[in-house]
Amino acid sequence: MVKPMIDLKLLGVLALMVVGSACADLVSDAFRFGLAGAPANLDPRFATDATSDRINRLLYDRLVDFNDAFEPVPSLADWEQLSPTHYRFHLKTKKHPFHDGTVLTASDVKATYDFVLNPANASPHRAALAVIDRIVARNKTSLDFVLHRPEPLFPGYLVIGIVPARLIAARHPFHEHPVGSGPFAFLARPDETRLHLIRIRDQRRFEFIAVPDPTVRALKLMAGEIDMLQNDLPPELTGYLENDPRLKVQRTSGTNFSYLGFSFEDAVTGQALVRRAIAHAIDRQEIILYVLGSAARPAQSLLPPEHWAGARDLKPIPYDPEEARALLRRAGYSPDHPARIVYKTSSDPFRIRLATILQRQLQQIGIAVNLRSYDWGTFYGDIKAGRFQMYSLAWVGIQTPDIFDYVFHSESVPPRGANRGRFHSTRADAFIDRARTAPNLAAKRRWYVQLQHHLADALPYVPLWYEDHIFIARREIEGFTVARDGNYDGLAQVRRSSPDAP
Amino acid sequence: MMHIRISLGVILLWALVALLAPVLPLSPNTIDLPQILVSGNPDEWLGYDDLGRPVFDRLLTGARTSFLVAVAVVGISLIVGSLLGTVGAYAGGWLDLVLVRVMDVFLAFPGILLAIALAGVMGPGIDNVVIALSVVSWVGYARLARAQVLSMKERDHVHAAVAIGAAPLHIVARHLLPLISAPLIVEASFGLASVVIGEAGLSFLGLGVQPPAASWGSMIRDGARYMLVAPHMVIAPGLALMAVVLSVNVLGDRLRDWLDVKSPVKGEGEKTP
Repeated sequence: MVKPMIDLKLLGVLALMVVGSACADLVSDAFRFGLAGAPANLDPRFATDATSDRINRLLYDRLVDFNDAFEPVPSLADWEQLSPTHYRFHLKTKKHPFHDGTVLTASDVKATYDFVLNPANASPHRAALAVIDRIVARNKTSLDFVLHRPEPLFPGYLVIGIVPARLIAARHPFHEHPVGSGPFAFLARPDETRLHLIRIRDQRRFEFIAVPDPTVRALKLMAGEIDMLQNDLPPELTGYLENDPRLKVQRTSGTNFSYLGFSFEDAVTGQALVRRAIAHAIDRQEIILYVLGSAARPAQSLLPPEHWAGARDLKPIPYDPEEARALLRRAGYSPDHPARIVYKTSSDPFRIRLATILQRQLQQIGIAVNLRSYDWGTFYGDIKAGRFQMYSLAWVGIQTPDIFDYVFHSESVPPRGANRGRFHSTRADAFIDRARTAPNLAAKRRWYVQLQHHLADALPYVPLWYEDHIFIARREIEGFTVARDGNYDGLAQVRRSSPDAP
Repeated sequence: MMHIRISLGVILLWALVALLAPVLPLSPNTIDLPQILVSGNPDEWLGYDDLGRPVFDRLLTGARTSFLVAVAVVGISLIVGSLLGTVGAYAGGWLDLVLVRVMDVFLAFPGILLAIALAGVMGPGIDNVVIALSVVSWVGYARLARAQVLSMKERDHVHAAVAIGAAPLHIVARHLLPLISAPLIVEASFGLASVVIGEAGLSFLGLGVQPPAASWGSMIRDGARYMLVAPHMVIAPGLALMAVVLSVNVLGDRLRDWLDVKSPVKGEGEKTP
């Protein structure tokens, strides 16, 4: 009786060794991607943060995507416009099935968007899709979207990842166990800081590891504990890693728009002369050169010039401290009677650093700036509630020009929109309304360009810069293309060169 | 004896710099972007920080902030905590019970979270940091004072003082406080260091020193991000903080020995046979 027991134990140990070595192989073969923060929500119907959006793009397919000019292009589906309020989408047949093996059909698309549009589900994306009147699935591969009103930008709104209708009905927890049809499938989430995906085409494992501290993240990259990372490093650290022969750095121009925002209800910042003086007082080129490590370009509008609705003839506001002082004098301020501004920013050390430089540059023209930094929740709450004189923030991932409606229209004061400074301009409203009702993209572009010129005069925002996207990887990592919007789609092509490769 | 002199010298230097910083020819907030993260050189031997500001000038200015906050918080906490703890323990009864429950409530919260909440409610600023940290810190002194008094008040000399009709205030001031001061001073020496760190934490969250003002804690926090590329940013304030904390602890320890009647060391060079 004893001998078989020993054999069983031996077998058990051997099995554990085999499993252990298999797991070790999996771990060593995995691609490890360092993140500054973990994705907050892996359910595309609810996700709003940039990291979640970038990961969800790997897990889920969407009907429409954008090209380099930010024009909507087919992704999961082609479309045709049957009338100004009627679009028909045809699903491509060669797309991946869902990761549970079922085929993605028009019913899944309809179920996903119906879920988002249902007020009871409180999706944060519902407001952006309010133009949809109804969705009709015609057959397995085509469906119609009928709108309340004409909207030429409409295809660009359909960027939410598609989830299976069957699982929606079963109230599947997509945030815990995502099931999509993207090039990557969910494997595990051992804890809040780690996410394991598998690339479907070659079964390669990818680990996303959240390491909040940039120095620790850089050290892990140097030590080979992670293979690659993107953004969220101080420029000096990027330069340091660039000199490491084991690493390589890729950059691309970004579109994330950094700006200064103002309260129009405040006696100081409500004055156009003061805002114009501030715009001239900021030496963007010096900040970009010395602080951002040349990894940015001056901004002139919320949309970059390469955007199809961008104002290409708009020039960045020049650095001219003399002009700034003259404008302040015209506004009634002098060294004896300086303009006093409370400037709010987040407690992110890099944002405080930038804010301190801006504070100094504004002091040099005679504006007494009281800098206040707050944790993100307090800061963002104050901004949304309009409790500020001046603040700095960035718009991330802007794709469609209807952002102007959301940010600058008089009727977009929170909670309806993001007109946080209470900017009221009948001219701006007129441009936005005309662009909204324009029958085609060319007409919309004309109105949006005029609007951007008006905003450059009124200065509800003082544009600062568009920060670049920087990808740093171990030298053996190949095939990644840095996207303009900073997405991680390039991971679909990543490979590891053989150790003896030149 | 040498280490005592060195410690005393460090503390005196810290206090001196803190008091004289406003009149010294310093430019701690002068931003010079081309000098960003430049390391020490003969002109500026502690180098420049992440905004091109001289680290030496900021170190001296930060000494003032850290000193004022540390002294104010430890002073307020020590006085308030000791008084409450002593009075509660000596009086006993319902007063002691209420004080113990209040202390339990304060101890139920993690100290730094309570400080964050208070500073958040009151708004950013160095004065509010002093209040927030004092509200958190007094409990430690109160608990220690209470425990000491509970054991001391049963001693013969206290009973004797009661027997001859000494007033409670007199007994507390003359027969209890001198005896419990040694552990309180040691506690204060440790508290000094934790207050500097606490101030740094609140400043980092935007609830303490506001940019561009400097404190050692915020300098360390800022410098930690550049450990790989500019270690001088964190080494200078780190060493300053370490020197001050070490010196305070050494002096506190020496003071405890000096105040302890049972200690074999009593004053300079004096030893029991």
